[in-house]
Order: sequence, then C-alpha cells, then structure tokens
Amino acid sequence: MDIGESIKMAAATLLANRLRSSLTMLGMIIGNASVIAMIGVGEGAQKYAASQFESLGPNVLFVVPGSEETRRQTLKLPKTLVLADAQAIATQVPTVSQVTPQIQDQLSIVYDNKTTRALVIGTHETYPVVRSHDVFQGRFISKLDDQRGELVAAVGSDLAQRLFGSENPVGKQIRIKNLSFRVIGLMEAKGAFLGTNQDDVIFVPLSTMANRLVGQTSPFGTELTFISVTAKDQASIPAAEFQITNLLRLRHKIIEDDDFSVRTQKQALEIVGNVSQALTVMLAAIAGISLLVGGIGIMNIMLVSVTERIQEIGLRKAIGASQSDILIQFMIEAIILSAVGGMIGTGIGIGGVLLVGFLTPLEAGISIPAVLMAVGVSGGIGLFFGVVPARRAAQLDPIVALRSA
Amino acid sequence: MNRVSQHLNIPDRGSETKVAAPRPLRPIIRLEGVNKIYGLGETTVRALDDVDLTLASSEYCAIMGASGSGKSTLMNIIGCLDRPTTGRYELDGEDVAQLDDRTLAHIRNRKIGFVFQQFHLLPQISALENVMLPMVYANVPSPERSQRAIQALEQVGLGDRVQNRPTQLSGGQQQRVAIARAIVNNPVLLLADEPTGALDTKTTQEILEIFTDLNDKGMTVIVVTHESDVAHYMQRIIWFRDGQVIHANLHPEELHRTAF
Repeated sequence: MDIGESIKMAAATLLANRLRSSLTMLGMIIGNASVIAMIGVGEGAQKYAASQFESLGPNVLFVVPGSEETRRQTLKLPKTLVLADAQAIATQVPTVSQVTPQIQDQLSIVYDNKTTRALVIGTHETYPVVRSHDVFQGRFISKLDDQRGELVAAVGSDLAQRLFGSENPVGKQIRIKNLSFRVIGLMEAKGAFLGTNQDDVIFVPLSTMANRLVGQTSPFGTELTFISVTAKDQASIPAAEFQITNLLRLRHKIIEDDDFSVRTQKQALEIVGNVSQALTVMLAAIAGISLLVGGIGIMNIMLVSVTERIQEIGLRKAIGASQSDILIQFMIEAIILSAVGGMIGTGIGIGGVLLVGFLTPLEAGISIPAVLMAVGVSGGIGLFFGVVPARRAAQLDPIVALRSA
Repeated sequence: MNRVSQHLNIPDRGSETKVAAPRPLRPIIRLEGVNKIYGLGETTVRALDDVDLTLASSEYCAIMGASGSGKSTLMNIIGCLDRPTTGRYELDGEDVAQLDDRTLAHIRNRKIGFVFQQFHLLPQISALENVMLPMVYANVPSPERSQRAIQALEQVGLGDRVQNRPTQLSGGQQQRVAIARAIVNNPVLLLADEPTGALDTKTTQEILEIFTDLNDKGMTVIVVTHESDVAHYMQRIIWFRDGQVIHANLHPEELHRTAF
C-alpha cells in the first residue's frame, strides 16, 4: 500500500473519532503553546533588558562605592567615593570623556500644599550628556549653579506632573528640607529602567545637595553615591575600566580588597542576560515537560485505541495488510495527531506571545527556531510515542483479534 | 512487487477471466505432515497433529469438529494467517509454509477471501468503501476500485445499498457486504469461519445460496462450521478431532449415520 493511501486512511480514522482525536491532541496543543509562549516571553524579557541598558547612555561606566563582596553582603553601603575621585578620573584618565558624580537620596518635596517624596539627585552639568537624559523645557543645572551652590532644580516629567499638573513648572518655587528651590528646567520623559521610574526624580547642584540637603562631607571630601563615566568610544571601555580601577586603588591606597567597583554596561547586561537566560531555560524546561506529557498522552490513547480496534486490525491483516502496513497506519495516526496538535499549539503560543507584547512593555519575540523546534519535537514525539502502540497493533494475532467478538 | 508476483505465479489482470473456469483436478490446497505446536518446553500444545489434506480446485467443503479440535488452527494456516511449525503447505501450486509476513499478506490479499461470523465491517465507512478496502492493499488504481466493488456488491444482490453504513444494514446484508469484500480481488479460495453463526435460518439459507452460487462459478469454498444444517449444503465434509483429520472425505448424507 502506498503512503498516500496510508495517510488518507489514517486521516479518515481520526476524523471518524473526532472527540478522541481532539482530546488526544490537547496535550500536544498545551505543550506546544506553552513552549512557544514561554520562550517568546523569555526572549522578550531578554531584549527588554538589553534595550533598558542601552537607554542608560552610550559607553557609560559606573563607579560605585564598596567592593562587589561588601555590596553583596550589606544594605548600607560604605561611603568610600568622594568628589575628588571624580575630579581625578576626569583629569587623569585619558580614555574618559565625561564624568558625572552623583549623590542621591529620597527626600520630601513640597509645592503649594502638596507634599511628596522623590529621588533627589545632586549632580553636575554633565549629567544629561552622560546619561542621555535631555532637558525638555528651560535648562539643566550649570557649572556656575554648582560653584555657587544655587538653590535651583530641574524636575523629572512624572514628578512635575504630580506636583504641578498641567502648569509649566519652570519658574515655580518648591521646598526641599525647608529650603526654597527655584525650578529652572523640566526633563524629557525617560521611562522606567528595570521597573524603576527614572522620571520621578529631581536634580539639584551637587554642592547644594552635599552641603545643604544631606550634609555628606567627610574629612576626605564630598561623599558620593556613585560616579557615571563616559568612555571616549566603545573600544576604550575596557581600558577606561582598567585605568579607573588603577587610579582609585592608588588614591585609596589599597593593598588588599578594593573599596569600590567599576561596572560596565556589558557586565550588567551579562548579569541580566544570565538571569533571563536561566529564566528562559527554566520556562522552556517546564514547557518541555508538558510537551512530554502530551506525548505520553498520545501513546496512552493510541494504546487504548489499539485494544479498541483489535478487530479492525485483525480484519485488515486478513484482507491483505502486512505488519508494516498496520505499523505505518498507526504511526501515521500518531504523527498526524501530534503534528496537527503541535501546529494548533504553535498558533495559540504565537497568539499568546503577541498578546503579552500588546499588554506589557516586553517586546513580542516569536523566535523562528523555537517554532520550528516545537513543531519538529512534537512530530518527533508522535513518532517516538507512536512506536509502542503501532508495534503492538502490527504484532496482533489476527485470528485471535477476529474471534474476540 | 513484480518479482513477488512471478515467484507466486499470480496471474496478471488480463488472464484473470480465464482463471475462473473450473479445473476440478488441479489441487488448490495440499497439506503434508503439517504440525502446529504452541508454547515451549514442558507445556506444549499440539494443535495440529500430522495433518495431510488435499482440496481440489472448485471444491465445496465444510470443516467440522468440536471446539478445541484444531479447526481454527487449520483455518489460520490454510488462510495464511499463521505458519505451520513443521510440514508442507502448497496453495495454488506454491509452497507457502515458511514465507515471510509481507509475502503472506500479499497472498491473503490476492488468493484468499475471508468471511467471518461477526462480519467485521469497518463501521465508519460505507458498504462500498468496505468492499474497496482489499483493493487499497492491492494498489488497484482508484477508478477501477469502485467499479469492481459495485460489481461484487451486485453479485451478492446488494447493488442498491452501496452507500449505506454497515450499521444501517441488517445482519444478512452486512454478511453480503463481507462476502463482496472477500471476492472483490478474485481469490482462488473463499474461507468462511462460522459465516451463519450470527444469522437467522432464512438469512442463513440466503447466504449459503450465495456460497453455492460462487462455487458453481468455479470458486473453491471452505466453510468452518459446527452446524450440520450448514454442512448439508457442501459436497464434502472434513471432520476434525484432537488436531487430527478423522474423516477427510465425508459426504453430508453420511453425517447422521456417524456418531462423533
């Protein structure tokens, strides 16, 4: 019997038992839909994280206080970075183009009779360039503002919305820690970074922040929360990292463990990438298990079906079907079930990924290899789990089958 | 396929009409010293015990015997559904005793038509499609299939019921469909296993008349039965007991005089 006839015959049998066929496929449908959806969402999360880090600014490095070890172990970070370190980096490291020191703290902000809390960032005029965060209206803090310790502020878009509503914030007076600040600028909306709102912030001159708001001035100088550094270009990032590390080791007279660390976007991306990759693998593994369960479901129902169709098999043998004809027929039935189930499941999975992309900031990532893999694997599972029932069917003793009326 | 047909001496389609002419003296079945032993070691069962049997072409014959006498085993072997443990079996001049599964399937398809007590029609397809099934396994081209299937159904008096599902047919009609299926590939041998066991007396007569009619046209017919009423339609009765042929050539008239 040729293969076309076998396929026709298998399809006819499956269509004649619609309920059983669709229930059998259900396992494959769910399995495949979850594989596609899980991998899609996982990859979407990875892309999202990557785009987030790119939004930090090009070629940016961060110098943070405390070694990686101490940062892991404590919540309260040591204040080992000072303004003089930032100035030294700016003047002595040749591969660095811009340096932005930052002190930040959550403080109460009052406008009119409204009080709210927001992240207050004391920084230099280099911030908008280094962090790719532009001014929308008015101006940012200038070098002169910092030298004079002016009481001026630039507000982030969300905070401005909260405090001023539809009014133009530029020129308004706000109070932070009983000091009156004049709003000189409104920042462009930047969006969230890994779930942290970057627009719910207010910028003040670094000197004002250090001297008037948080009072972080130790014998070594103004203590910083961290320093953002821009390398000259992408290629000089590793050199900048190395040079900054050496410079600070010298300045801090370090002979054992570092009391600071230098982070690049690449490292941060790697960390997030590893996490989301682990997540994707885990999700795919869970989905893979459901695919396996779906395959076992097919084997199960096919085995029941062999017992149920014992007379049909006997008859087919009597009228001229060889063992291989029967084997092929049952294999094709299993493959059709899992392949059709796989395709329906893939469709549902793609729909799910698109829906997630529509409802959340995660970019819908339908990966073609994942689709091909899922369809291929489900077909393979049909083949694999179809073998046992098909062999059992093929080896049935026809007369026993025909006489068990 | 070509090689197999040559080996089995299966006539090609052009010569099939000539094959139907009766040639009574040519042996169609020859069993020589056939044994069938089930099981291994201590617990063996000898289902067939040194059976010798010859049937000529166009014979109309009943195989009788108590249950457990070996009739089923004999039918399996004659029908090429099973192989003898030892011995020689010639079907239509070819030794088929030790052929492989695929070749035996081919022989069943081309040379043997089966009819069963429980009809064994596939319920989800029409009478016509049921009759077409053996031709699917024979790789007959599609247009020829329905043409030959309709001819076969007309031959058993069911030309008007071709599109009905088996469940829409009476028991007698279903058995007619099964007979049409058995003869559609022009077999040399029709093998019926208790074909009237599930039918009433009137329908039994009708079915047996179809067998008689087919035999008149030259087909060898073997009916396995335990009913002497059925056996009376045949020319020859083979009586089985304990895996052995007790009577190889009993006339139906002698049946009532023989105590078994």
